[in-house]
Amino acid sequence: MSGGRHILWLKVIWVGTVVTALYLPIVSVILASLANTRYMRFPHRVWTLDAYRAAAADYTTVTLHMISLQIALCVVLVSVLLGTIGAMAYARYDWKGRSLFQRLIVLPIFFPQPVLGLALLLSMSALGIAPSWKTAVVAHAVWIVPIVTLVISIRLFGYDVAQEEAAFDLGASRWQVAREITLPALWPGIFSGALFAFLLSWSNLPLSVYTSGADTPLPLWLFSRTATNYSPLVPAIAVIGTFVSGLIVLLLLAVRQLLARRT
Amino acid sequence: MRRNPGLWYALPLIVAMLLFFAAPMVIVVWYSLMPPRSFALTTDIGLQNYRSAFADGYGRPLMWSLLGAALTTLITAVLAWPTAKILHRHTGRWASLVTALIALPIFISESVRLFGLSVFLMPGGGILAGTLNALFDVQIGTILNTRLAALVGMIYIHFPFMLFPLLLGVAMIPADRIEAARDLGASSWAVLREVELPLAAPGLLVGGLLTFVLCLGANAEAAILGGRAVTVITATIEQRFNYAQDWPMGAALTVLVIVVTAALVFPAVRRIDLNRMLRR
Repeated sequence: MSGGRHILWLKVIWVGTVVTALYLPIVSVILASLANTRYMRFPHRVWTLDAYRAAAADYTTVTLHMISLQIALCVVLVSVLLGTIGAMAYARYDWKGRSLFQRLIVLPIFFPQPVLGLALLLSMSALGIAPSWKTAVVAHAVWIVPIVTLVISIRLFGYDVAQEEAAFDLGASRWQVAREITLPALWPGIFSGALFAFLLSWSNLPLSVYTSGADTPLPLWLFSRTATNYSPLVPAIAVIGTFVSGLIVLLLLAVRQLLARRT
Repeated sequence: MRRNPGLWYALPLIVAMLLFFAAPMVIVVWYSLMPPRSFALTTDIGLQNYRSAFADGYGRPLMWSLLGAALTTLITAVLAWPTAKILHRHTGRWASLVTALIALPIFISESVRLFGLSVFLMPGGGILAGTLNALFDVQIGTILNTRLAALVGMIYIHFPFMLFPLLLGVAMIPADRIEAARDLGASSWAVLREVELPLAAPGLLVGGLLTFVLCLGANAEAAILGGRAVTVITATIEQRFNYAQDWPMGAALTVLVIVVTAALVFPAVRRIDLNRMLRR
């Protein structure tokens, strides 16, 4: 077939274009961070890392990262806990209300995120609670917990229930079964769930807009500084923030490797 | 046989969702029924906010958001379909690398990526305009601060949300089904319409729903790329809450968005069998 080669090339060009289009803006951020002028004139007359030095010296950088980290870690904790338990109901057990439960639990994913945040803001203010990073955790969790539940459930669908039954028949206690059979089977799902939760929370903008109050997480700060008071500090902090999240993910992967080697 | 503990495992999630998802929705509806510019929840309820929502020109931003969401959903679907087919067809190291490369940007904050798109498109000293000027001495204009730019931003941000459900959907098409249709003399168009689309429909539905709903709430695209060319509903709502200090009006507009969303989501979620999609 002579057409085969042409089609293959077309496919390569198509996929290449898609990937390039997705990464051009990201590369642009990096390029913008290497300038030293407020008004960008690309190609820069002076290429410099000044913005990174300024970001490293600025205490705001640390504060922003700490707030985002606080929120993300709490979201990971909450969503792994609720998601693991929820996944048991979603995929492991067959029970009467399961099909309804499965449908209702995904609803928050299919809701506009600012609407979720606003609804929470109004509820909090009706209860007299001031918005802060803690309320942002709640807002993030409402959207992220269902996703983590689905991620863990995917693993559970392939889980062989007979293993548990066998362990019980051999005289294992409920706790032993949970620790030796169920959790190890769930572990890869829990790990990917935690990774998803961390990354989705770290990068989320719309859920934080109304709910974070005076504690500004990284994406929200970047959003407001892009609109007003722009300087190369903004793309520099954007690059630093993305690198930090990448490092944290690598760290988590390394921990998993270590744990896997031990057992 | 041991007692089935499914409901007990479901309980924590159900309680959390009632408290932090269902209850806030009720509160928003309650707020929307309060007299204009009040900050407290009372029993003095009425529909005046909804009446002024339709009378005072709040319909336009809602229309823009709906139009933007519909266009984005359509265009991302058209772009994602061939991409999903290619990625599904070719397995192996390259395909997984490309899939990972496409997934990665989801985890970079949309404020970062939209900012990047805006410096890329900026006129004069922007990345694209500056490069063309320096290399080829070509001057180009910009689409920045137009409705088109906001739409491009929405497509850019939401493409992966369409692609990944669609990949699950495309995986549900048995290869022999396409072969069989071809052998029976079906044209490519007929195969697409009669075989592939119906079989991949669940993925298309999930991707479409996710994209549409996320776009309905999207604000950053219009704010960063659209300039003042377009006001979306979330921007109007934010403006009601922050500057106008008219919470009940903001709540009423929010309820309208929720109603539109629910009208789409409830029937779709009833039809989608996520179990079948995830259990491959």
